[in-house]
Amino acid sequence: MSPIDPRLQEALDGERDPGDLPADLREAYARLISAAQLLRATPPVSVAARVMAEIRQNPAPVQSGGPARRLIRWLGRPRAVTVRLRPVWTLALAAGLAAVLLMPWPNAGPTPGIAQGIANFVGHFPGARSVEVVGSFNDWSRGMLHLSDDDHNGIWHAEAVLPAGQHEYMFVVDGERWVSDPLAGRYVDDGFGAGQQNSVLIVRPMSAQP
Amino acid sequence: MSWKLVLTLALVAGPAHLVAQNGIGTTRLPGRVPAAALPAIDSIIAAAAAESLPTEPLVQKALEGGAKNIPADRLVNGVRRGLLQLRQARAIVSHAVPGQSPPEGHVAAVAAALARGLSGPIVERLLTVAPNEPPGPALHAAADLVAHRFDPDSAADLLVEAHNKGLRGVRLLDVAVAADHDLQRPGGRTPSEALAHIRAMLPNVPAPARRP
Repeated sequence: MSPIDPRLQEALDGERDPGDLPADLREAYARLISAAQLLRATPPVSVAARVMAEIRQNPAPVQSGGPARRLIRWLGRPRAVTVRLRPVWTLALAAGLAAVLLMPWPNAGPTPGIAQGIANFVGHFPGARSVEVVGSFNDWSRGMLHLSDDDHNGIWHAEAVLPAGQHEYMFVVDGERWVSDPLAGRYVDDGFGAGQQNSVLIVRPMSAQP
Repeated sequence: MSWKLVLTLALVAGPAHLVAQNGIGTTRLPGRVPAAALPAIDSIIAAAAAESLPTEPLVQKALEGGAKNIPADRLVNGVRRGLLQLRQARAIVSHAVPGQSPPEGHVAAVAAALARGLSGPIVERLLTVAPNEPPGPALHAAADLVAHRFDPDSAADLLVEAHNKGLRGVRLLDVAVAADHDLQRPGGRTPSEALAHIRAMLPNVPAPARRP
């Protein structure tokens, strides 16, 4: 670094009149002063720090209005949100969304394939709190096919798409009472020695359904 | 090899190995049937697999018993009864369709028909008529007729004639439904009259009502 001329330093320090300087030093003095003014015009800190300082110095005026109006203002005010995603969670989120989008809508109704058919289950169980169908088509698992009684007249109903062929089933009423379907028309002894009869359902393939 | 890789391989390969080893469905039973019944049921199902009998009806029977909270001894007896029916069914199929290994579907359908009360000779007769077609619908139609107190031999005659006149598959069930409707018609027909009426109608038996 080249040392600064002492006369120029004195002029910069205000100890000498810049007009007394020789022409070359006066020109250097003018450039340095311009540079200093430019530096003074440059923000001393980051924009974010300056904005935050401004906010602290000038707090938002107290809003008038009731709690509802303040809530509406709060809801409508734009806010900056920072989201940092890890790739693994992003992929998991994408997979979850895909699963939801590909899942059949429950209100869309059953749509059977060629080797499937639609089965209707109807039972008259006045006063029942719940009725479900359990059978060979769902590995005799509970909680998979519930009947509903939307108009509370005791007639419970469910519709399901099942593989074509023979199925055995029973109704389970109120979670504990196993009942044969009185409308099934076909029955078979369940083979466990207590004389209980499974209902037999034959599902016609969709191609053979009227 | 890191422990993470070993763990990953174990998690991936373990279940696949179990499925490959136990393709007879008994992996579905633990937790669904009483633990006391499991060894005996496993043994019955393994015996069925060794004899090339279908195992799924036995697995289903075990699952059914577990769902119904059947005591272990009765549950095992129920599954064993299923095995006996499958053996009887296989013998009937082999006799009716000699010279070929009985298809699993035939054996299971015949076992179901036997469980519904059809006699061996009636089953065998229906199998003989259409040895290469799935026997389920014809057997169920016969079982339906017998359950509604039609004479078994006359019921089989009607179904054989329906088949000979071109009715196949679930249309044979329509024959049984039509006969039952005819029997219940006001004015009263005897079962033999109803069968004669339907026989005269063949092959034009009405199809079931269209779904609304």
